[in-house]
Amino acid sequence: MAGKVIKYERDNIDTDVILPGTYLKLHDYDEIAKHATEGIDPNFHARVKKGDFIVAGKNFGCGSSREHAPIALSHCGITAVLALSFARIFYRNAVDGAFLLPIEIDETAYKKISENDQLEINTQKNEIKNLTKNEVYSMKPFSDIISKIIAAGGLFKYKPD
Amino acid sequence: MPQTLFEKVWNSHKVTEIDGRTLIYIDRHLVHEVTSPQAFDGLRLNKRKVRRPDLTFATMDHNVPTNNRSLPIVDQISAIQIKTLETNCKEFGIELFDLHSPYQGIVHVIGPELGITLPGTTIVCGDSHTSTHGAFGAFALGIGTSDVEHVLATQCLVMDKPKTFEIRVDGKRKHRHAITAKDIILSIIKRIGTAGGTGTVIEYRGEAISDLSMDERMTICNMSIEAGARAGLIAPDAKTFDYLKGRKYTPKNYDELVDFWKTDMVTDNGAKFDKVFTINASDIVPQVSWGTNPAMTSDVTDTVPHPSEYANGNKSEEDAAKKALEYMDLKPGTQITDIKIDRVFIGSCTNARLQDLIEAADVIHGRKASPNVRVMVVPGSQQVKKQAEEIGLDKIFQDANFEWRESGCSMCLGMNPDILSRGERCASTSNRNFEGRQGTGGRTHLVSPVMAAAAAIAGHFVDVREWL
Repeated sequence: MAGKVIKYERDNIDTDVILPGTYLKLHDYDEIAKHATEGIDPNFHARVKKGDFIVAGKNFGCGSSREHAPIALSHCGITAVLALSFARIFYRNAVDGAFLLPIEIDETAYKKISENDQLEINTQKNEIKNLTKNEVYSMKPFSDIISKIIAAGGLFKYKPD
Repeated sequence: MPQTLFEKVWNSHKVTEIDGRTLIYIDRHLVHEVTSPQAFDGLRLNKRKVRRPDLTFATMDHNVPTNNRSLPIVDQISAIQIKTLETNCKEFGIELFDLHSPYQGIVHVIGPELGITLPGTTIVCGDSHTSTHGAFGAFALGIGTSDVEHVLATQCLVMDKPKTFEIRVDGKRKHRHAITAKDIILSIIKRIGTAGGTGTVIEYRGEAISDLSMDERMTICNMSIEAGARAGLIAPDAKTFDYLKGRKYTPKNYDELVDFWKTDMVTDNGAKFDKVFTINASDIVPQVSWGTNPAMTSDVTDTVPHPSEYANGNKSEEDAAKKALEYMDLKPGTQITDIKIDRVFIGSCTNARLQDLIEAADVIHGRKASPNVRVMVVPGSQQVKKQAEEIGLDKIFQDANFEWRESGCSMCLGMNPDILSRGERCASTSNRNFEGRQGTGGRTHLVSPVMAAAAAIAGHFVDVREWL
């Protein structure tokens, strides 16, 4: 996985700013995607490219259980969110629905990664390469079962051993 | 080995272990119009049935208008979402309390009032405030749409075992009417933070918790998610058993169940929690949030804090507080009681039960809402509405120029016609003060129903202890 960084240097990015409530009525994923992160970054949809990553602080995705939040991000091209920590329901939704990878990073990586940096993520090696800065960071490995659900392509495709 | 209440509920619902995670049986599944359509689509696509339609209950609450129910729904997209739930419930054989049902209401208000919520059960719903049902000693948690589909298909959920977190609220509240359950839970979140409960199931204990009514306990458990917890619960007691007796879906062998709950659905003496936090109820005063998450809350007697003082040396907290004050258009040092408001919302799954409305009405004393303030009172369910009207609350509110509306989520989440306009400031009894939560550019201050009613009359926040 490789892509450019869109960085929000803040904690507690909640599901209401990731996808404001008024758009929960929408059923079509691409329509939902047009409003991703509208609450804090109205230009997001115009500048995001397929394969981009979001980098953010602690407790990303806190608040509502709306799966529309990871759907909105994934359908405008985001393949992974790199955050210091995630709220539980957002994390589950991202993995179970195979929308995007919720990757936990440490303070060092969070501080060093800047907006527009080009990253390459290797989840086998738990490694994040910053091609712009020529640096390598580690990511927190996924637990066994999370890796298996991700590899299967979501909860419904996953079959226990 | 002594066990906590949560561990007992967890252990009694284990089906099997899968790759280090546990498959948990789900006793009750509550469904609403917003987080279910894609789940039903998934079932159809894979030719699956709902495994236990008899344990699944649906209503529409999030996007429903709260004005005249006899009129058609103007917003076509909402109308389709509501119609879709009707079609899905019919096709899959699920009981639905639709817009014209006497049992319609906010899913977390109707579950308990219909006796669907029971002690010792596992309850899920595609809504984060499912934690509300924990007030009855249930393990109740919010899930997303993929998991809704999974539970519809299998009646199970795969989970990691959460840690246990004891929050003790010792002592007594100094003022029973002015200091409410809302002030207790906001005080807790203010101290432990929005991620303070991450990875845990909270059990609320202590004298001040036992003192609370069931309506008040639901307010406490409701906001467990605002502290980042997976769920929150309170051990059932005589109040719980009285509340559930004789409700529509209360099981026939109720007395036997009560005997079991009394002895088994409690935390054993000597059981260890992974984490403990203690607060004394006598230190709690009415609370008002000033920022853009529920931890950004102050005592009503305080001023809006300086970001540096709020952050206490934490740079990212300081930045967050600065951004919050900018969004909220507030200056540090402003007395909370000097903050003027444009709107008041009394409602939501946090504070729209009968007791909330009785207490809010008690503040009015024949006065009227400030002419500059628009006030909405939105009962949590049709049952709450009916009971309130039977004791004349509708008249008290309407005489004070408070709007008396139909039941639904209303202005809590900005997805139905009840929203704030850009820049409007609202005293709200709901649970989230996130940016744009009640409408783009809207500003939310979280308070209790009595604080909201007093602010409606004064046009600004007041210390409701002086009024009651």
